[in-house]
Amino acid sequence: MNPKEEKVKIITEEFSENNEVAEVGRQKKTSKVARQKRKKRLPTAGPEEMVSENPHLGGQQEPEQEDSDTRPLSMMSRRGPRSLPPIPSASRTGFAEFSMRERMREKLQAARSKAESTLLQEIPTTRPRRLQSPSKKELETEFGTEPGEKVQRTKQEDDSQSYSRVKFRDSAQKIKSKPPVPPGFPSAEEAYNFFTFNYDPEPEESEEKSQTRNRDETNQEEEEGEEEEPTVHGEHKTVMQDEEELLSAKDAEDFLLGLDHAAEDFVAVRPADYESVHVRLQREKELLFVPSRLTVPTYKKLPENVQPRFLEDEGLYIGARPEVPRTCQNIVENRLLTQDPGRKWFGDDGRILALPNPTKGFPSRPPMLTQEQDIKAELETLYKKAIKYVHRSQHMIGSGDTPGNFQLDIDILGLIFTHHPCFSREHVLAAKLAQLYDQYLARHQRNKAKFLTDKLQALRIAVQTGLNPAKTHKSLDTTQKTINEYKSEIRQTRKLRDAEQEKDRTLLKTIIKVWKEMKSLREFQRFTNTPLKLVLRKEKVDQKADEEAYEAEIQAEISELLEEHMEEHEQKMEAYRAAYQQWKAWKKAQRAKKKKKKQAVEEHPDEEMEEPYPGEEPVKPVPPEPTDRALIEQQVRERAARSRRRPGEPTLVPELSLAGSVTPNEQCPRVEVLRREDVKKRSVYLKVIFNDKEVSRTDSRPLGADFRVHFGQIFNLQIFNWPESLTLQVYETVGHSGTTLLAEVFLPIPETTVVTGRAPIEEVEFSSNQHVTLDHEGVGSGVPFSFEADGSNQLILMTSGKVSNSVAWAIGENGIPLIPPLSQQNIGFRSALKRADAISSIGTSGLTDLKKLAKWAAESKLDPNDPNNAPLMQLISVATSGESYVPDFFRLEQLQQEFNFVSDEELNRSKRFRLLCLRSQEVPEFRNYKQIPAYDREIMEKVFQDYEKRLQDRNVIETKDHIDTHRAIVAKYLQQVRESVINRFLIAKHHFLLSDLIVEEEVPNISILGLSLFKLAEQKRPLRPRRKGRKKVTAQNLSDGDIKVLVNIIRAYDIPVRKPTTSKFQQPSRSSRTFSEKRAASPTTHSPTHSSDYPLGQVLVRPFVEVSFQRTICHTTTAEGPNPSWNEELELPFRAPNGDYSTTSLQSVKDDVFINIFDEVLYDVLEDDRERGSGIHTRIERHWLGSVKIPFSTIYFQAKIDGTFKIDIPPVLLGYSKERSMIMERGFDSVRSLSEGSYITLFITIEPQLVPGELVREKFDSQEDEKLLQATEKFQTECALKFPHRQCLTTVTDISGKTVFVTRYLKPLNPPQELLDACPNNPQATAELVARYVSLIPFLPDTVSFAGICDLWSTSDQFLDLLAGDEEEHAVLLCNYFLFLGKKAWLMMGNAIPEGPTAYVLTREQSHYLIWNPCSGHFYGQFDTFCPLKSVGCLIGPDNIWFNTQRYDSPLRINFDVTKPKLWKSFFSRSLPYPGLSSIQPEELIYQRTDKAAAAELQDRIEKILKEKIMDWRPRHLTRWNRYCTSALRHFLPVLERSRGEDVEDDHRAELLKQLGDYRFSGFPLHMPYSELKPLIEAVYSTGVHNIDVPNVEFALAVYIHPYPKNVLSVWIYVASLIRNR
Amino acid sequence: MAAAGPSVFLLMVNGQVESAQFPEYDDLYCKYCFVYGQDWAPTAGLEEGISQITSKSQDVRRALVWNFPIDVTFKSTNPYGWPQIVLSVYGPDVFGNDVVRGYGAVHVPFSPGRHKRTIPMFVPESTSKLQKFTSWFMGRRPEYTDPKVVAQGEGREGKAWAQWLSLCLWLRS
Repeated sequence: MNPKEEKVKIITEEFSENNEVAEVGRQKKTSKVARQKRKKRLPTAGPEEMVSENPHLGGQQEPEQEDSDTRPLSMMSRRGPRSLPPIPSASRTGFAEFSMRERMREKLQAARSKAESTLLQEIPTTRPRRLQSPSKKELETEFGTEPGEKVQRTKQEDDSQSYSRVKFRDSAQKIKSKPPVPPGFPSAEEAYNFFTFNYDPEPEESEEKSQTRNRDETNQEEEEGEEEEPTVHGEHKTVMQDEEELLSAKDAEDFLLGLDHAAEDFVAVRPADYESVHVRLQREKELLFVPSRLTVPTYKKLPENVQPRFLEDEGLYIGARPEVPRTCQNIVENRLLTQDPGRKWFGDDGRILALPNPTKGFPSRPPMLTQEQDIKAELETLYKKAIKYVHRSQHMIGSGDTPGNFQLDIDILGLIFTHHPCFSREHVLAAKLAQLYDQYLARHQRNKAKFLTDKLQALRIAVQTGLNPAKTHKSLDTTQKTINEYKSEIRQTRKLRDAEQEKDRTLLKTIIKVWKEMKSLREFQRFTNTPLKLVLRKEKVDQKADEEAYEAEIQAEISELLEEHMEEHEQKMEAYRAAYQQWKAWKKAQRAKKKKKKQAVEEHPDEEMEEPYPGEEPVKPVPPEPTDRALIEQQVRERAARSRRRPGEPTLVPELSLAGSVTPNEQCPRVEVLRREDVKKRSVYLKVIFNDKEVSRTDSRPLGADFRVHFGQIFNLQIFNWPESLTLQVYETVGHSGTTLLAEVFLPIPETTVVTGRAPIEEVEFSSNQHVTLDHEGVGSGVPFSFEADGSNQLILMTSGKVSNSVAWAIGENGIPLIPPLSQQNIGFRSALKRADAISSIGTSGLTDLKKLAKWAAESKLDPNDPNNAPLMQLISVATSGESYVPDFFRLEQLQQEFNFVSDEELNRSKRFRLLCLRSQEVPEFRNYKQIPAYDREIMEKVFQDYEKRLQDRNVIETKDHIDTHRAIVAKYLQQVRESVINRFLIAKHHFLLSDLIVEEEVPNISILGLSLFKLAEQKRPLRPRRKGRKKVTAQNLSDGDIKVLVNIIRAYDIPVRKPTTSKFQQPSRSSRTFSEKRAASPTTHSPTHSSDYPLGQVLVRPFVEVSFQRTICHTTTAEGPNPSWNEELELPFRAPNGDYSTTSLQSVKDDVFINIFDEVLYDVLEDDRERGSGIHTRIERHWLGSVKIPFSTIYFQAKIDGTFKIDIPPVLLGYSKERSMIMERGFDSVRSLSEGSYITLFITIEPQLVPGELVREKFDSQEDEKLLQATEKFQTECALKFPHRQCLTTVTDISGKTVFVTRYLKPLNPPQELLDACPNNPQATAELVARYVSLIPFLPDTVSFAGICDLWSTSDQFLDLLAGDEEEHAVLLCNYFLFLGKKAWLMMGNAIPEGPTAYVLTREQSHYLIWNPCSGHFYGQFDTFCPLKSVGCLIGPDNIWFNTQRYDSPLRINFDVTKPKLWKSFFSRSLPYPGLSSIQPEELIYQRTDKAAAAELQDRIEKILKEKIMDWRPRHLTRWNRYCTSALRHFLPVLERSRGEDVEDDHRAELLKQLGDYRFSGFPLHMPYSELKPLIEAVYSTGVHNIDVPNVEFALAVYIHPYPKNVLSVWIYVASLIRNR
Repeated sequence: MAAAGPSVFLLMVNGQVESAQFPEYDDLYCKYCFVYGQDWAPTAGLEEGISQITSKSQDVRRALVWNFPIDVTFKSTNPYGWPQIVLSVYGPDVFGNDVVRGYGAVHVPFSPGRHKRTIPMFVPESTSKLQKFTSWFMGRRPEYTDPKVVAQGEGREGKAWAQWLSLCLWLRS
């Protein structure tokens, strides 16, 4: 606001304020009057009016009055709001009630009047007198003010707050002043007087006194009003109260008593409470403070006696104040003033202190759609490009910079070749001529010679005036000095001018020379190629004047030179003289010395020393020659002739035009025509390379005959970052052949001030070093050519040219240049420059250092208070305070500092925040962390411990968990691979396809339609119902206990049976068992265990199955016999890790389902035969027979597992044998007996069915040939069309995530030499050994390591290094070994149980095929029914893939002859021959021998750990170790290894029997590949050996590790329990 | 919302799915479920519900009134992942197949008190005209794999939804 205006306003305000004050006073009066009037009309307010009750007057009163009378009475009895404002006459009490009350009151009144009469006698006059005044005044005011009253009342309403406050206070005080006063009733007399007395107008003295006393009590403001009119009606009330006070004071006792009684008695019949609006308002006023809206006079806001000071008037800069409505400002001011230290809020100018306006001029929120708008408008959908959620990098983007779109406009106008291979000789000359002409034009434009001449002229004049003595007498020295300076400058200038002139002249000469050459060339070749034409225009000059000027110039020059020479001569003479003097002196001295020498050599020996340079003979100086004027003149003239136009010679102005005609093609020789055609064929385009990336390219334009190309294209580059480089690449296309890169043109990145529209067009030259020789007239490039006929004077020209372009920053819609912030240029402060308008205000550009700017500002003494400098000062203050950013746009973090509720360090220290961050980053440990505690203190430190430990251990190899160091390294490596792969796929996981979100039926094709039509005719309830697929459940809304694993155990075959032969040493204990036979009562439960006594002599077994999963154990009932049938369903609950049931988490469940088969053995433990009659004491023992292990991941991916599995039975099962049952005569027995082993039929599934995770649809990059990849896709789709369920594999993903053609994995590779040497003569044995070696490499499914991501194939060397892999790796290695052994081997992809899709190896022996399971090392014949492989999808050889196109896919029923194209569809065929793909496998595998000592050490450690574990599992029992047995077992294990667990049982048993004669022994060796300790422990646990709780049980445990090359370890664990036989 | 115990706060929601405006359809029912973040857990009440089938009112409003009550209590340690109620409305089409008529989601109000929310409902569109026809014919309209998808932001890029209708919901938290 203008300060002057302000002043004026304030004054007026003050003025109006005064008015208002006066008005207030008036209003008070009038309003009171008005109120009084109302009161009169509705006489309910004051107690004094109670007199209307007066019985004497009762009849005369109006009913209305009467009616309202009652109200105050009832109110009065409760409280005494006597001074309350008038109550509207709305109250209506029931008449009956009224009359009743009336009567009561009359009685009361009667009693009271008695008392009162005595009182009245005491003070006979005062009261009645007092009463008279109100009525009189009323009358007065009523008449006086009636007309203006209404207006005033409206005003009064405006002012009601202040007024009512005053009023209110008034009344409040009144109440306070005499709170204990009971509601007094005016006496009858009083009332009577009120109505009947003729009041005397003059108040009495005493009355006056009481009034003044009262007045003192009342408010100050009230007083003001009263001063003018002491008997105002407002006063009336106080006086009245006074009266009452008197009253109450006097007859308090009796008066009160009666009334109180009455009030209490009749409380019950009071009407409902009603609080009138006015009453409430009044009360609210008591509580609320409403500040006035009136302007506060300035003097109130300032300290005493201080004049308001207006800084703005004093020339200081004040920012614009925020606009606040006047009334709001007033309210705030009023409010502040009532507060105690309110004044501190006001500035010197009497206004509230305020910061500059922080509000923006335009809204930053987009306009909201209003509800009223048409619904269509709201529903209009706009396409918005999806913004990709960059998951990993969200924390990397600096928050400081707004990644916006910036735009760089590159305008490419055209291209001119200054040389091109297709230039003819004439073109070369023309180009030269054009260049020279350009040069000439440029020089001409600058006209330096003229400028220098003028300067020379000016200097000369200056010297002449300077020499004028009339002027220069003041300070001769200085003028002399300046003259000297001038002179030297003249000399300089002259030299420059001469040079320039000479250059001009030579340029002109060369132009003419080139033109002549060109002309002669044209004549010589008899055609013209270029339209260039040079015209020399002669400009006539006035010969005489010219000559004069020339002469004058020469004269001036001569004189100057002469002067110069004179000066020089003078100097030289000076020097000469000095030298001569010196020489003379020396001569003299010499002479004198000679004399002295002769005289006094002895006395002054040191004088000789003083002789300055005794050896030096000063040469006699030669006097300089005087300058010869003639000589100088000659020189000058010569030079002038050389460099200057001769006087009178016309000025030559060359003019180059394109007016010449080019000889048409027909008249040209053939070579020239060829050249022209060649030129026509050529076209040129430019690529725009931004930051080394091609961003766009121009159209390809043909090269014109004049070697100019016009593009005229503008490229708008939308960029994010500050450009690093901007390059144009010039490409030339010749005909239809390829393009060649001619040259690169580097464009400078424009300054930030260069914006579109202001950018100048620049020509950037380029040249290339390519060598081109052409067979036509074209001179080529980079090759020598000559204009001369004899070939001399050779020239080599390179292709070169100029690109005319302009680069500028675009301007956005709102005029803001779209320039990336300079902060991206690594200089923090620059960005501020860009944003603030300070720079534009001082009009500089490219200011880079704000510090310097600040310094400059300090030095130049900028007025910081000058409003003009405000933006600059602001900028500087920002720069110096370290804040680097002053954006002029809206951003959320604008006041980040202010909004930060804690500092960053504190935030980082917060454990909760950290937890949240980690979870959001999906760090594995916290990915599914639930219920992050609300407070820091509730977060345990140990939450982070694992994570921190992992971070620390990332590079530290932990050997604690992994006993074997190599495996520790491998585990670490695997972990890292896993992490990196998982991280890579985390993004892919967040990427959804439409089908992920929406279930949409596919468009049915005709076959489906037909099928569905057929379905219509289908029976509703078919006789043979088909199994329907269960509904799949997405694993999102599941929780613990929802998922169950169902294991249906159907039957088992060929369970080992107990051996009767053992009875030899068990006989002694047999006595106890006879009991069971006696129990005829229960034949079913009766144990047929000790079958040696069984009548039929049949050896039996009582197997039952125990399924354990996640340490939950379920078991079936006990069946009998070696071929039991249970048909039982077991239900095991499934718990996902961390309660996370997401697909990823389920996929990574590593738990296995163990299906253990036990034999239940009953022992009688009754030790005393005498008790046999009274009780049964048997002990059930269970003997482990074997197990099947199925990983959960298999179940999860297969959804159901159904089939017969081979039971993994330990090679030695003491006390059991596999009997060839004689009584079986079923047909397949013969087949089955081929394969030794026991089998169990199972059906396993998950309830509810879970949707298995899908493989990532990521398309991997590949190094394969594109054609090959296309062929694979085609092949696969073709195969899938025919047999959708057969596995067809052509490409796989290698460990680095690249797609590789699968045959590259197959290549003969050498197995360890050791295995080859083992049995050199038996190829079959070698093959088995190799298979065993491969099977000893631990199995680790990919789905576990790379949860749900993909199947990665590692090469064999990687596999051996990692020592972990799944079926594919095993199969590939085995296949490669077989290939090395000279077998015909294929990789066989198919389905097997329980693995599901898997890889086996097929080999061809002489006559038959063998199927190898690479993970177990077992092999099966083609016709083996128990072969786990159930279907064959395709075969993969080292050079081809064959897809099974036979009708059946069971290996039993198919023909493996891949040469038959009808049965096997091959990938490479005649149409697509095998391209000879190189293998990705290494040349040769190198095996290190495993360190035997390390193996032995590992063996000891495992043994120790297992023993500890067994003791842990038996917490309540003593675990004794039988050392003798342990050592026996330890000796026995290597034997097992040697024989690979076959055919040792009998020897072993015999040996053990021999050694442990009197022990009952149950135990078995376990064999497995070594990967880590946990599976070993699990396996031992699952056997349940530790479960024996016979008191005198002893244990034996032995571990043997057989090392194979490359650290492949075969682990044997022999665990046994022994019970001593008594 | 009241703090219970030292470390969790409770969010009690009760309200009702009041009515809907589906001018074209009749005989609809409504399902609701809640989607919430990791730090949230329901402690009481029903997290999911399915309403009765309702018919259009006969007056001009043509409202489908369910007045289907919702009463659930959550506990949480973190406002992140504030519960959203996801509503999906189903009804029979011309052939009597149950098809989805609308999906919608809204956050549970942040402030205590009585709130009324009107949720725009939408259904995914078929990807092509032909599919639209066949899906209409076969009574298998495109549906979300899980209605909870509508409460999530992920994977919604570039997919077209249409058919906005509205549904009223009273909530009290």
